[in-house]
Amino acid sequence: MPVEVILPKVDMDMATGRISRWYVEDGATVKKGDVLFEIETDKAAMEIDAPASGTIRDITGKEGVDIPVGEAVAWIYAEGETASEKPAASAPADAPPPRTPPLKGEGDPETLTPPSPLRGGVRGGGAASPDSSAVRATPLARRIAASAGLKLDSIAGSGPNGRVMRKDVEAALSASPTAKPKADASSQARPSAARMTASAPLHHAWLRQGSGRPFVLIHGFGSDMNSWRPMLGAGVVDAPVLGIDLPGHGGSPRAVPADMDAISEQIEATIAALYLGPITLIGHSFGGAVAATVAARGHADIRALALVAAAGLGPEINGAFLSGFARARSEASLMPWLKLLVADEKFLTPAFVKATLAQSVDTELRRVQAEIADRFFADGTQTVDTREMIAGLHIPVRVIVGANDHIIPSQQANGLPGQVALHVFQATGHMPQIERADAVLKIMLEMARGAA
Amino acid sequence: MDTTVRELSYAQAIQEAMAIAMEQDERVILMGEDIGVYGGAFQVTGDLVERFGADRVMDTPISELGGAGVAVGAAVTGLRPIFEFQFSDFATLAMEQIVNQAAKMRYMLGGAVSVPVVMRFPAGSGTGAAAQHSQSLEAWFGHVPGLKVIQPATPHDAKGMLLAAVADPDPVMIFEHKLLYKMKGPVPEGYYTVPIGKADIRREGRDLTIVATAIMVHKALEAAAQLKKEGIDAEVIDLRTIRPMDKDTVIASVKKTSRLLCVYEGVKTLGVGAEVSAMIAESDAFDYLDAPIVRLGGAETPIPYNPDLEKATVPQVPDIVAAARALATGNR
Repeated sequence: MPVEVILPKVDMDMATGRISRWYVEDGATVKKGDVLFEIETDKAAMEIDAPASGTIRDITGKEGVDIPVGEAVAWIYAEGETASEKPAASAPADAPPPRTPPLKGEGDPETLTPPSPLRGGVRGGGAASPDSSAVRATPLARRIAASAGLKLDSIAGSGPNGRVMRKDVEAALSASPTAKPKADASSQARPSAARMTASAPLHHAWLRQGSGRPFVLIHGFGSDMNSWRPMLGAGVVDAPVLGIDLPGHGGSPRAVPADMDAISEQIEATIAALYLGPITLIGHSFGGAVAATVAARGHADIRALALVAAAGLGPEINGAFLSGFARARSEASLMPWLKLLVADEKFLTPAFVKATLAQSVDTELRRVQAEIADRFFADGTQTVDTREMIAGLHIPVRVIVGANDHIIPSQQANGLPGQVALHVFQATGHMPQIERADAVLKIMLEMARGAA
Repeated sequence: MDTTVRELSYAQAIQEAMAIAMEQDERVILMGEDIGVYGGAFQVTGDLVERFGADRVMDTPISELGGAGVAVGAAVTGLRPIFEFQFSDFATLAMEQIVNQAAKMRYMLGGAVSVPVVMRFPAGSGTGAAAQHSQSLEAWFGHVPGLKVIQPATPHDAKGMLLAAVADPDPVMIFEHKLLYKMKGPVPEGYYTVPIGKADIRREGRDLTIVATAIMVHKALEAAAQLKKEGIDAEVIDLRTIRPMDKDTVIASVKKTSRLLCVYEGVKTLGVGAEVSAMIAESDAFDYLDAPIVRLGGAETPIPYNPDLEKATVPQVPDIVAAARALATGNR
């Protein structure tokens, strides 16, 4: 199988990198350790070596262009290998292990020194390295990876010098449904979560990498973390953004949680397992009620809270929508309900409809969700009341609603304490984060500025 | 037994412990320089000479070698002396009596004698007493088999551990941080002991373990309170005994938190935290570490007289906060 050459993370807070120049041409024969290209960062120029020997082909990483960390920039073929054997290229989101290329020091790009065998020998973490012991990793990360049957060199290390830590292994585990810790190891593998609550972390993913106080996003009923992507695409987010799938949704376990505290515990366990520190929490609809509950419980360090078309502010909710939406199995039966979500149908893009339908045909998923609706919104009534919780918070809280919300009446957001900011978007339905993506994103970024 | 708990200073707690020991057992005597009429360099013995008489509260000449030798000899021949050094630094003058005699006698005489002597050492910096009166030498004694070495951090423990030391058949070295003497805390009335060799978890946490000794326990707790606001939940262990060390408590804590920060005032190199660190690295807690072990110890320098420099040579609360933060956030 051809070996992928990726744009490595050579700096702690690097999300993209720029190849200043290639030293080899497409079709050239390279030896493992040969310098392939040079990356320029603010601090230094770094040479990146070949992870394997062979013929370099498919050089897609152009010079002088910003390339996401982890993206394939070329492939190295062994003799006789063909392009058809090439595996799917790495998605930049799950960044591969940062190589630690030799620092060129203060040297200018003209004084190139060939890589010495010594330097090549001490380098660890290369994708082609067959030996996990060469990877920098903490003892705990090694133990968890070993018990889960994961290879360390397939895991991106977020610690100093690319050191793989527990959270990196756990992120790799949650991203890979096949590799799971053995039963006897799982209790040890997630001690922090297990200690804090009896709950295991929920399915989660980094929707954006970055630096600064992380945003944690909780989607609404019947949806999943991907529903946030259109909003994040509406602008530039510098801070990391974590999406969490509620229980019974997305990639999280398909169980019906007992109550709001049970869901909150799982959210808290997820946050604790990732050692996020202070966060900004944002919830939509049912996820808004969850977010407010998590904030009020005080177990997670939440510094600001945004509630988008949130449940939990009043008694009524469109019960017909909830049951109809959960029951719909075809585009024809789904569309009338989706139309209730937005004020203008143009937001029901083919991609949105397709993504929703993909979940609707998952009978088991929707069955669990119907049970969740019965538990928390029986007979078109919200059984969760977060108004008092919100009133008791000592953090900035913003409530964002669409004036034409047909699922949860926007009037429910009235009468909250004066310190809670209320944003009412006209001609907007239950999905302000999609219908007014740019404006909602801007509010979110303002909250981040408040942190700085 | 129904006991009343009052607020006492650390020095008062020690004085009360000595008084109780002397009331209970007439073999208990106090020895040291200026502990009689003067009441002790730090007024710890106070007016005990008036209560128990000069025969049992004995001023010794300005010779640590001589005084400590008499105390060791008295212990071997049946008394239970509590010997006070004016400053722990002067232990250098009595090392022969402590290391070669007190620590070895039971072993070399096949268990025929024991040396139930207690030595009290006012230790540590922070009083402007400069390089020869401010050291933290507890690790020296922790290196000697045959000695027990304790560092109580609270008035409660100072009284209970001193009474445990008096009851112990072997030589016990008590290091009392001078800045703790005026610190007040709840102390039960009457006789009780706090076991030697048992650490205390002063604050439970999940994100990292801070193992601290003496006054560093209080600084670590203050740091933990600040860290809490940042969402970092530190567990603070008061080691209390240097030798024999309570390995189990520390190992269990590190297994829980996966991160270890050792904070001690003695010079960092070859200090108490070095032993804790090595002990964890050798233990089965190693496989639970998610970051390198970090030590915060005293600077590699004599303690300066200049008060700003003096402060800068030993770990302070912001140092602990910064080190713990780096550890807990994966930046270490």
